[in-house]
Amino acid sequence: MSGAPAKSLVSGASGKPAPPNRPLVRRVLIATTVAFLTLFIVIPVVNVFAQAFSKGIDAYVSVFQAPSQPKDAQLSLVERRKLTAARGQAEKTWSSIRLTIGIAAVVVPLNIVFGLAAAWSVTKFRFGGRSLLIALIDLPFSVSPVIAGLIFVLLLGRNGVFGDWATHVTWPDPFSLHWRGFAEDWWPLEFTQSYTGIIFTPFAIVLASIFVTFPFVARSLISLMETQGSDEEVAALSLGASGWRTFWKITLPNVKWALLYGVILSTARAFGEFGAVSVVSGHIDSNDTMPLRIEKLWNEYNNQAAFSVASLLALLAVVTLIVQLIVERQTGKDEMRHTEGEGIP
Amino acid sequence: MSIEVRSVSKTFNQFKALDHVSLKVETGELVSLLGPSGCGKTTLLRVIAGMEAADDISGPILFDGRDVSTEGVGKRRIGFVFQHYALFKHMSVFENVAFGLRAKPWRQRPGEAEIRAKVGELLQLVQLQNMAQRYPSQLSGGQRQRVALARALAVEPRVLLLDEPFGALDATVRRELRRWLRKLHSKIHVTTILVTHDQEEALEVSDRVAVMNEGRIEQFASPETIYENPANPFVFKFLGSYNLFHARKTNGGDAMAASPSDSNGVTFVRPHDIEIRRENFDGYGIAAKISHIAFAGSLVNVELARIDNEAVVDAALPAHAYKDLGLKPEDKVFIRLHNTRSFDDDYSI
Repeated sequence: MSGAPAKSLVSGASGKPAPPNRPLVRRVLIATTVAFLTLFIVIPVVNVFAQAFSKGIDAYVSVFQAPSQPKDAQLSLVERRKLTAARGQAEKTWSSIRLTIGIAAVVVPLNIVFGLAAAWSVTKFRFGGRSLLIALIDLPFSVSPVIAGLIFVLLLGRNGVFGDWATHVTWPDPFSLHWRGFAEDWWPLEFTQSYTGIIFTPFAIVLASIFVTFPFVARSLISLMETQGSDEEVAALSLGASGWRTFWKITLPNVKWALLYGVILSTARAFGEFGAVSVVSGHIDSNDTMPLRIEKLWNEYNNQAAFSVASLLALLAVVTLIVQLIVERQTGKDEMRHTEGEGIP
Repeated sequence: MSIEVRSVSKTFNQFKALDHVSLKVETGELVSLLGPSGCGKTTLLRVIAGMEAADDISGPILFDGRDVSTEGVGKRRIGFVFQHYALFKHMSVFENVAFGLRAKPWRQRPGEAEIRAKVGELLQLVQLQNMAQRYPSQLSGGQRQRVALARALAVEPRVLLLDEPFGALDATVRRELRRWLRKLHSKIHVTTILVTHDQEEALEVSDRVAVMNEGRIEQFASPETIYENPANPFVFKFLGSYNLFHARKTNGGDAMAASPSDSNGVTFVRPHDIEIRRENFDGYGIAAKISHIAFAGSLVNVELARIDNEAVVDAALPAHAYKDLGLKPEDKVFIRLHNTRSFDDDYSI
């Protein structure tokens, strides 16, 4: 690619006329955008960190790690109670962080599988009800998350459609998997804990999170796969490649950046989802994800702690933003590579 | 390998893309499917390739006499070349060509050295031996299409199916590649079916041409026959520009066009089959007035209006003949028609 088009914009020397230069319109638009972003995004995010550190670094750290009891100090009863309470709070905060990450670890891979399957089916095949399916994929975007949570409560709750089964089903807690050794059985692993029921357990949180995050992966893939068409896949098949090989060698490399983009968006949403998760968690402390934990701290008038946990989520958003930037730059590069040689005769 | 389709139909949402099409391509032949867009030529090619399933009422698709209509695209051992190349853009030219070899089941998969040798040989064949490490985006359109051809040939297909392979290229490259394809075909002699909407391309490269329209084959014959002896008005019209007279050819031959009253048929004549003279042809010529002259390189297009009924006639004559006659607009001349073709009924595209 030569620099010709860019040059012509500046000098207006070649065929294309330069766009009309209206400095006032440009300045007003830029100023509006910057003002809006500052007011609604930058200030709130800065505020989160400001509040989190309002009582100093020690207070911030103590939200996640309660101060240990000095060995030789003689503590009064009140002080000891305070310390125990702080430990309990820190433990709850950590449990919410673990749960949030665990939920995302389950939800995001499922999203990848479902999203790929959905995008593949609606873009590579033509069938009746295809547009209905595309509309259904978008549905979670238009449904309030609280409603999404309620749907699961109404389906799986005590009086729900599947209530009878859903309140009695027992399933093992995957985080309780531990090494037991070969002494008792040939199989060395076992679950030490299990849950009964679905609603008001992490299972329900996973279901609700899948519901609200599903469109992210599917949508970012569909738009790309639609423009790419299926010629490359058909070509691979005609060369004798199996469907599986075609998928791994042709389809996946072609959509990898879009897939990553979708994964980032759905991870961010899985971490941050409040409404749907709040409804199905039953306000049980052990079911708290980070957003739910923040709400509880806030309701306990523990503002500084609430903002400290919130700052973690905000940090995550910043990381998401950075990865997103990198991904966008990469896709841009790929497209450049794709279109580069077009002009050569 | 010979290919035969018997009474194949294909319907898309009530649109008949193929309507009981039968076609037999002999071993080693290069056959073109020629027709306007939407005539079903690409659909027929995709049905032969196994990318599209024919309707249930269809007859068999025979490769060397064996029905393959239930086999998938990967099993038929075809080489398919797409209009927009469909190269794997994240792979180098070498990997593109090697893809079919690497995708073989491991028992038949050749070793790395063998793959290298084979790919090198194919790149030599398509004259791209220096481009092996490039990516498709770094190649020109013509080079990409040659890579696509090498990739298709790598699996030693029993038949080569080309779907408007030069459709996305500019005119000069098209002509070059067309000749090159003809040469390649005489070298490797694999049965080839080429889909195109370009008459010149079809006539130049093919052993036989199947002219298609509205899901049917109108005529299947050698290029000469198609051009000299079109089976119906559609074929005549599709193969180039023409003049149409609503009159049947009478025994008088040339004279018929002068009396358009007898209108139970149509007569066609190509612009370059119209002869222009200053003086009459022993009384057989038609008097006409030149209304417009357009210079088009080796040919000069002359638009005339008949003096008796004002009907417009397009003639094309070689530049030298034009110079010799010294024609100018508004000149009165006489024309005579050669190689006219008459058909019974009026026929509209």
